[in-house]
Amino acid sequence: MTTNGSRLISIDGVNAHALKDTARSVAAANRKHRAGISSWGASGIFDELTVADSHAGIPSVRTLLLLYAADLAFRLRWEIGPALDEGRLVIAAPYVATPIALGQAAGLDPHWLADIFRFAPPATDHHVIDPAPARPIAQRHGFVEFAWEHLETRLGGLTRLELMDRTRRHLRALAKHADRSP
Amino acid sequence: MSSSSFDQKLRRLARSHFEDRSRRRGLLVAFEGPDGSGKTTQRKLFKTWLKSSGYDVVTTKWNSSDLIKPIIKSRKTIRVLSPLEFSLLHAADFRHRIESVVLPALWEGKLVIADRFLFTGLARDVARGLDFDQVLKLYQPLVWPDLVFYFSVSARTSQERIATTRAPTFYEAGQDVTDIDEPAASYERFITRVIREYESLALIFRFITVDAERSIHDQHQEIRRLFHEGEQRPWSDWNLDAVVEWLAMRGARV
Repeated sequence: MTTNGSRLISIDGVNAHALKDTARSVAAANRKHRAGISSWGASGIFDELTVADSHAGIPSVRTLLLLYAADLAFRLRWEIGPALDEGRLVIAAPYVATPIALGQAAGLDPHWLADIFRFAPPATDHHVIDPAPARPIAQRHGFVEFAWEHLETRLGGLTRLELMDRTRRHLRALAKHADRSP
Repeated sequence: MSSSSFDQKLRRLARSHFEDRSRRRGLLVAFEGPDGSGKTTQRKLFKTWLKSSGYDVVTTKWNSSDLIKPIIKSRKTIRVLSPLEFSLLHAADFRHRIESVVLPALWEGKLVIADRFLFTGLARDVARGLDFDQVLKLYQPLVWPDLVFYFSVSARTSQERIATTRAPTFYEAGQDVTDIDEPAASYERFITRVIREYESLALIFRFITVDAERSIHDQHQEIRRLFHEGEQRPWSDWNLDAVVEWLAMRGARV
């Protein structure tokens, strides 16, 4: 809790459907704090990536995570920061644990991953939700799903479920580490 | 095969490929300097000369990734980028070009000319108030050029040369951080900061400084001479991490 009563709650996970449901429940339970939800993609960067010409090429995991960081900087400037300044509760779903876990699942250096998200203020409360990846295609709209769709040929033969499982494993480890932190 | 064993094999593959003296190895030459320093003119002359000398040349320009450039351009047009977003998006553009243009060309033994390299990001972002170490981390794993030509001009010369052709754009003029409405006045203040950062980088990273106040002909002759000296340098292990990651990404078999 900060001096003006604002709180930042992070909810991370690979199952976007579950992430959204949890964020809505937390928001509903905190109406008196004028809770709001900030989700990935608010800057429109990923929409533009989706409609890029096919000759433009495929991003690597590293490039995609730099774009996620740029999107998060946008969310912090226009959504999260102003709401916190007004003393409100903000639910960031996902926040930094999801992209960090994805990067680790793809074999990137954990120190680099921590460094590129160092600009993001720590959340007051962290939550990792761990249901299995969504089955119906219509529910596969999370960041890790998006990454899988765009990176398939860049992941050294990892299947969608293998990437999801690895990411979940790293998310659980990150959650444990956060629990141990003061 | 364990990931560390695979990584070691990729390292050996990369080293043996770039150190193989039986074929021409890829070379990376960067042209750096403030706007109006004449580096693009020199880059074009250099490329023409290299091609006539039998080199297979590839050029990559700053902020030119087909994938990321449209994202940056649309945000620059409506002037919504914060210094941090500006920095992150340019780092993403750079990374995509490293992986899709620079490393593939170097692997094939081509000569890559970079019209601006990561030092442009460093100089501009630090001039915008970001932390040097933090910005440098965005560009890791680092790829170091074999040669960096730094075209040194004063802020006044830069400003005068730009003014003869066009007005500086909002972000070129640093109007996002100077709070000065008049583009030329903002440019003068911002380019002074950028040049100060470049001068520091030139010392830290041992750029070859070219006095860009001299004639175009004299500069070009000097670049030819310095290139011949520089191309004899051995391949640097500094680039190993970036090459290994790229090899793994493209599914290299070892």
